[in-house]
Amino acid sequence: MPVDLDNSSAASGETSVSGNQPPQKQTPSKSVAIAKKKRNLPGMPDPEAEVIALSPKTLLATNRFVCEICNKGFQRDQNLQLHRRGHNLPWKLRQRSSKEVKKRVYVCPEPTCVHHDPSRALGDLTGIKKHFCRKHGEKKWKCDKCSKKYAVQSDWKAHSKICGTREYKCDCGTLFSRRDSFITHRAFCDALAEESAKAQTQSPNPNPNSNPESDPKVQVDSPPPPAPQPPPPVAPDLGPGQCQAPPGLAQSTGMVSSPVLAIQSPELRDNPTQTIEEAPAPAPMLATVTAGFNGSCSSSTSSGSNGRGTSSVFASLFASSTASGSLQAPQTPAFTDLIHSLAHPNRPTDLAPSSSAEPISLCLSTNHGSSIFGTAGQERRQYAPPPQPAISATALLQKAAQMGAAATNASLLRGLGIVSSSSSSAQQDNMQWGHMQMEPENASLAAGLGLGLPCDGGSGLNEFMMGTPSIFGPKHATLDFLELGMSSGGNPSGGLSALITSIGGGLDVAAAAACFGGGEFSGKDMGRS
Amino acid sequence: MKTELRGNSNTSISLQNPSTLFSNPQSSLSGALNGCLGSLDGACIEKLLLHCASALEHNDGTLAQQVMWVLNNVASLVGDPNQRLTSWFLRALISRASKVCPTAMNFDGGSTIWRRNMPVTELAVYVDLIPWHRFGFCASNSAILKAIEGYSKVHILDFSITHCMQWPTLIDALAKRAEGAPSLRITVPSCRPPVPPFLNVSSEEVGLRLSNFAKFRDLPFEFNVIDHGPSSFTSRDQIMSKESSRDLYFESLLNHLTPSMLDLRDDEALVINCQNWLRYLSDEQRGSNVQDSSLRDAFLCTVKGFNPCIVVVVDEDSDLSAPSLSSRITACFNYLWIPFDALETFLLKDSSQRFEYESDIGHKIENIISFEGVQRIERLESGIKLSQRMRNAGFSSVSFCEDTVGEVRSLLEEHASGWGMKIEEDHMLVLTWKGHNSVFSTAWVRNASMQD
Repeated sequence: MPVDLDNSSAASGETSVSGNQPPQKQTPSKSVAIAKKKRNLPGMPDPEAEVIALSPKTLLATNRFVCEICNKGFQRDQNLQLHRRGHNLPWKLRQRSSKEVKKRVYVCPEPTCVHHDPSRALGDLTGIKKHFCRKHGEKKWKCDKCSKKYAVQSDWKAHSKICGTREYKCDCGTLFSRRDSFITHRAFCDALAEESAKAQTQSPNPNPNSNPESDPKVQVDSPPPPAPQPPPPVAPDLGPGQCQAPPGLAQSTGMVSSPVLAIQSPELRDNPTQTIEEAPAPAPMLATVTAGFNGSCSSSTSSGSNGRGTSSVFASLFASSTASGSLQAPQTPAFTDLIHSLAHPNRPTDLAPSSSAEPISLCLSTNHGSSIFGTAGQERRQYAPPPQPAISATALLQKAAQMGAAATNASLLRGLGIVSSSSSSAQQDNMQWGHMQMEPENASLAAGLGLGLPCDGGSGLNEFMMGTPSIFGPKHATLDFLELGMSSGGNPSGGLSALITSIGGGLDVAAAAACFGGGEFSGKDMGRS
Repeated sequence: MKTELRGNSNTSISLQNPSTLFSNPQSSLSGALNGCLGSLDGACIEKLLLHCASALEHNDGTLAQQVMWVLNNVASLVGDPNQRLTSWFLRALISRASKVCPTAMNFDGGSTIWRRNMPVTELAVYVDLIPWHRFGFCASNSAILKAIEGYSKVHILDFSITHCMQWPTLIDALAKRAEGAPSLRITVPSCRPPVPPFLNVSSEEVGLRLSNFAKFRDLPFEFNVIDHGPSSFTSRDQIMSKESSRDLYFESLLNHLTPSMLDLRDDEALVINCQNWLRYLSDEQRGSNVQDSSLRDAFLCTVKGFNPCIVVVVDEDSDLSAPSLSSRITACFNYLWIPFDALETFLLKDSSQRFEYESDIGHKIENIISFEGVQRIERLESGIKLSQRMRNAGFSSVSFCEDTVGEVRSLLEEHASGWGMKIEEDHMLVLTWKGHNSVFSTAWVRNASMQD
């Protein structure tokens, strides 16, 4: 695979190769352990990504999309992607960054920029270029028709293609560049509804702009358009067939905030350079980073304010620290604190009741961004997730084994307040979903489910819970999820933990990985050390 | 790998009881990761998913949770498409796992957790995010326009999940028709499969707006809702009702599909529009006799009996209804990466639009993976299979004309360059993303020979 950068586009003139750009930082070929790649590449002798720092001049060179296989440059990302298909990569889910000779991350040349820090480098060349141009670049492209300025030429081109040429404007003020989108919108737009309602009350002049061809660029002299897309009145009777929640439900849904359980570990936030190596992680890997991870319908205060206080609790809850060595049942007082704080989040303020919702989610994630069910940070305040420690497959297995070992005495869900009512469980909190729940139980269950619902409990929550069972089952809350109640499934600690143990605390990645890559697990191979 | 192992093995591996290491055949998480190393790419993730499913099927709770743990570390709702897709799959597996649990869990088939009810205008944006829906709209409308040439009255029976988003452009086209605008009637069933996207208004309200629009375009227009549900079917009931109701209301719908109830008129061109809908009709035989065909076949037979001018069928091009869970996981995983990939090209990782769109796909994934029996309402069959079914039902396919093809192409040009189109056997138009089939669009007429 040619690593020759010179014959590629100027784009990849990395400083480590060409020495003709003085004023940038060295290119450390060191591993950036903080690469926010959640999946690192264990088993490779060169562990982490290479930080590339390009000068502004180099960065802004034209062919910015570079094929990492052959280093051919392209002007557009889509062209690169189509080109890459020609390399006969297994197309399945081969994203650009998933298979590379070397991982590269790029920093922004602008010293004051947040992405100047290697720990905040962006994962691909495109990203950093676009970022630099748009953020720090001089806007030297100006549209002639309107006065919009652009730093990126392609943005400018794309705009001027559209600007003024084919533009459809709805009465409500929304602009469309495509006719079918415009037509569809117009048909359902409130502006039309109001206009026709008005037309019925006035003298018949139903079609002020009856000629659709004049729609483009016609400033309709209609009554002041309503606020853009006011929510249409919700029909009180939603009709028998519409499987829609009654408004109350929708409201409740709308108030579901992001999974509060996804709490940022203060340690992770404060120490971005912390490395999680195969050695047992000192930091709680399972605390998640989602302080900024908020659903659009809740303010960030709920998780944010609780973040600090509860994160350590949560962290201790799930920390796979070697000290504890396993997922023990949470300490009661800490757990109570957790539940309590989660039960009383700040009331979300900016709700968009009708159109926003998130899945009820139980955040099981172990590091940033991997909250399975967490809502996406829809309006995230902070730019990017704080960098995550890389996790090797081996470390994952280790945790999984620990988890397995602890299965008999602590289930994830129990830890979250959802208690198994099977006889094996020590605790017998009965969350009887058949009955209306008392508010504290509501709150705790809700908290346990990571809902962070405000604890007005009341009909909204109950109704909501009953109407839309969460994934962990409102009924009887019997799921001890990770126990799965199946002790017949084999020795919990099993061969897996033994395997992990055998690999040892110092976890030689290569060897460990090699084990897994080895195929058959004939004991003799290992024994031949 | 093995040489590497030998070479490094003396450095840091301290083996303890190697004989016990591999003696436990059940704990095969290592086996699951076999060959994956650390680059948990798509192939690997798929393997893990399959392992998890198999563990669940064998009641191996330990292995299941271990695999889930690993998957959990890969999954991210705001990561790259791999990670996002994985997180929805994992969610579905967990949902499935929770049912395997012996304690009584009462899960409603198709019950949704996320009830995002959109305003109509937002839905209009939603369906245009990627050409996934618009492709079908465009092809179908074009075929319909062609088929109803010469008719002055048109009646469309609309079976779809996109709340009539298809029709404004048709109304617009009809209003401009060279031979003069026909009158248009659109009829929809009152019940709709409980799948996203959800609207925050009723069908009647949607019809009202369409009426307004048609009036605005000077097109005579009528909108009807087939009221076929038992009166006790409130929306809440449907959420909480038993599984059998799912089939019940489709059965009742079928019972209401009669010329009289639909007010079919002889001088009308009848159009049957099935968009992302046939898959919700059960494809299982209803009885032991050959005549007890599936609901799906019965539906096709019924509509054929109306002698429609054209039947347009649009759906997603994949077989996602295999009885075996593993097959479904594989098929699903290797198909649904497409919209995730497409959204990645132009929406940011934290885009709420993107997340919402993906979560609707996640809803589908959950139904396919975590449910069985009547609760598993997603019974998608690919274009090829559907075509066979249509032929078996006595239909023959109609080709799309050049104009249609041209229209679709220009539609796709306005979207990302990964979208393409091809024409397959049986005049099937297929939307492709990076060359992979996504959505198929077909048009059918009743066979000339009257063999029923």
